[in-house]
Amino acid sequence: MNEILVWVIKTGFIFGGLVGTAAAMSLAERKFSAWMQYRIGPNRVGPWGLLQPIADGVKFMFKEELIPDGANKWVFRLAPLLAAMPAMMTIAVIPFAGRVELFGQDFGNLSITDLDIGALYVLAIGGLAIYGVILGGWASNSKYSLLGGLRASAQMISYELSLILTILAVIAMTGDLDLRAIVEAQNTGGVWNVLEWNIWYQPLGFMLFVVATFAETNRHPFDFAECEPELVGGFHTEYSAMRFALFFIGEYCAMTVMACLTVTLFLGGPSVPFWAAAPWFVGFAAFLVKAGFFLFLFIWVRWTLPRFRFDQLMHLGWKVFLPLSLLNLLATGVAILFRGGA
Amino acid sequence: MVIVKRKTLSFSERLYLPEIVRGLSITFRKMFAKRVTRQYPEERLETTEVTRGQPRLVVNEDDSIACVSCGLCEAACPAYAITIDGQETDRFIEREPERFDIDMLRCILCGFCEEACPKDAIYMSDELELADYSRAALIYDIEKLKRPKSALEQRIGYVNKINQRWQTPSSTS
Repeated sequence: MNEILVWVIKTGFIFGGLVGTAAAMSLAERKFSAWMQYRIGPNRVGPWGLLQPIADGVKFMFKEELIPDGANKWVFRLAPLLAAMPAMMTIAVIPFAGRVELFGQDFGNLSITDLDIGALYVLAIGGLAIYGVILGGWASNSKYSLLGGLRASAQMISYELSLILTILAVIAMTGDLDLRAIVEAQNTGGVWNVLEWNIWYQPLGFMLFVVATFAETNRHPFDFAECEPELVGGFHTEYSAMRFALFFIGEYCAMTVMACLTVTLFLGGPSVPFWAAAPWFVGFAAFLVKAGFFLFLFIWVRWTLPRFRFDQLMHLGWKVFLPLSLLNLLATGVAILFRGGA
Repeated sequence: MVIVKRKTLSFSERLYLPEIVRGLSITFRKMFAKRVTRQYPEERLETTEVTRGQPRLVVNEDDSIACVSCGLCEAACPAYAITIDGQETDRFIEREPERFDIDMLRCILCGFCEEACPKDAIYMSDELELADYSRAALIYDIEKLKRPKSALEQRIGYVNKINQRWQTPSSTS
């Protein structure tokens, strides 16, 4: 089959899966939130409320779009796109599964592309997400939006540091920036492939990474970007209709990518416990289960922990996380030095 | 003066993580707890005899209303919700309302009309829902207020029971 056609099919599958996951997350968020509060949650649209995301989408489409008078119209329209785009771009290098063979056709590895500098690409593009948030906050010409945007960007930059440093430790262990290589290094065969997962070698790094992803995606308990009691809605206070929805899709996509990245870096990606040579679909299912757990964790933590104070967040980021991740990197380096080679 | 003693946190508490795990386990367990939501239009609250809903007029067995338009409820109404115009009738009671309007937007469901009525003609029903598209539609006239005695039985029985507390045998009619 034509190579370009294969590539288009894979892109459509993964990209559609990402946006579908974002839609499903909007329902899951409401359902789990309800269950944790003794409520039932949306149950009117379709069986068990499963069609709720479609109803929400239709509603967002038909709502009136408001642009505030003093807003910078061009930037105001651009910001939601900038917020949603980076997450959708970073999904390209996540290795979901190994070589796919379907209907006697070789589709190659199940990921849009395997970049040699995959990890670097994820960090570079992921860092762009800040622009959507701060430009949206600035262009709205509203003090709540501006403060929300500023807070979000300050927070994302501070936590991105420890995020990068923890990833760096994993990269140092593998000796490769390619996410595919990182995954393969965690599943070299044998029954005890579980023990090859990076989580056992980088427990501190894993914990730091997971907490940093919460801050990075502006989720509870670090959701200062939209801290309702102080900032009304944060950077998206002035947004309505589909542009507002785009911010949400962006947030859910970012959560999905971060969950995928956690699985890839620390939990062996598509590696199936005790079954190193599992076929691609089993590996893919294993990946989805692992990533699904982290997506659930995002919601789970939201209803468990209260929001931090902003200075506590900065304190945690700069005075605890940064030294700890540096220490983690140092320890990894020393261990590699003494064991000889990666 | 109040001296607040700051509790010194233990090491595991200062680490946050064990406490976070404890919190997570609580929220996880609560996911399977009993739901308290009532699915309203399908699952309604059960009304009891003390339910004091909207006032309704009692209709006798012969389809006439028991009201004699004495105006006591109109006078008792603290919200001025009731308007009565009387007229003569050939029936034994000689008077009946020509018009008996209750402005349900004014009615505060206090039940004073029920207490004031000397003819047991008005009772608080167990009907609680009150919504319509216009104000005019919420001014209920006789036809909208009429209810057969059987529909109000629960409340009538309760009011009689309460009244018996201060009724002497000689004062019963």
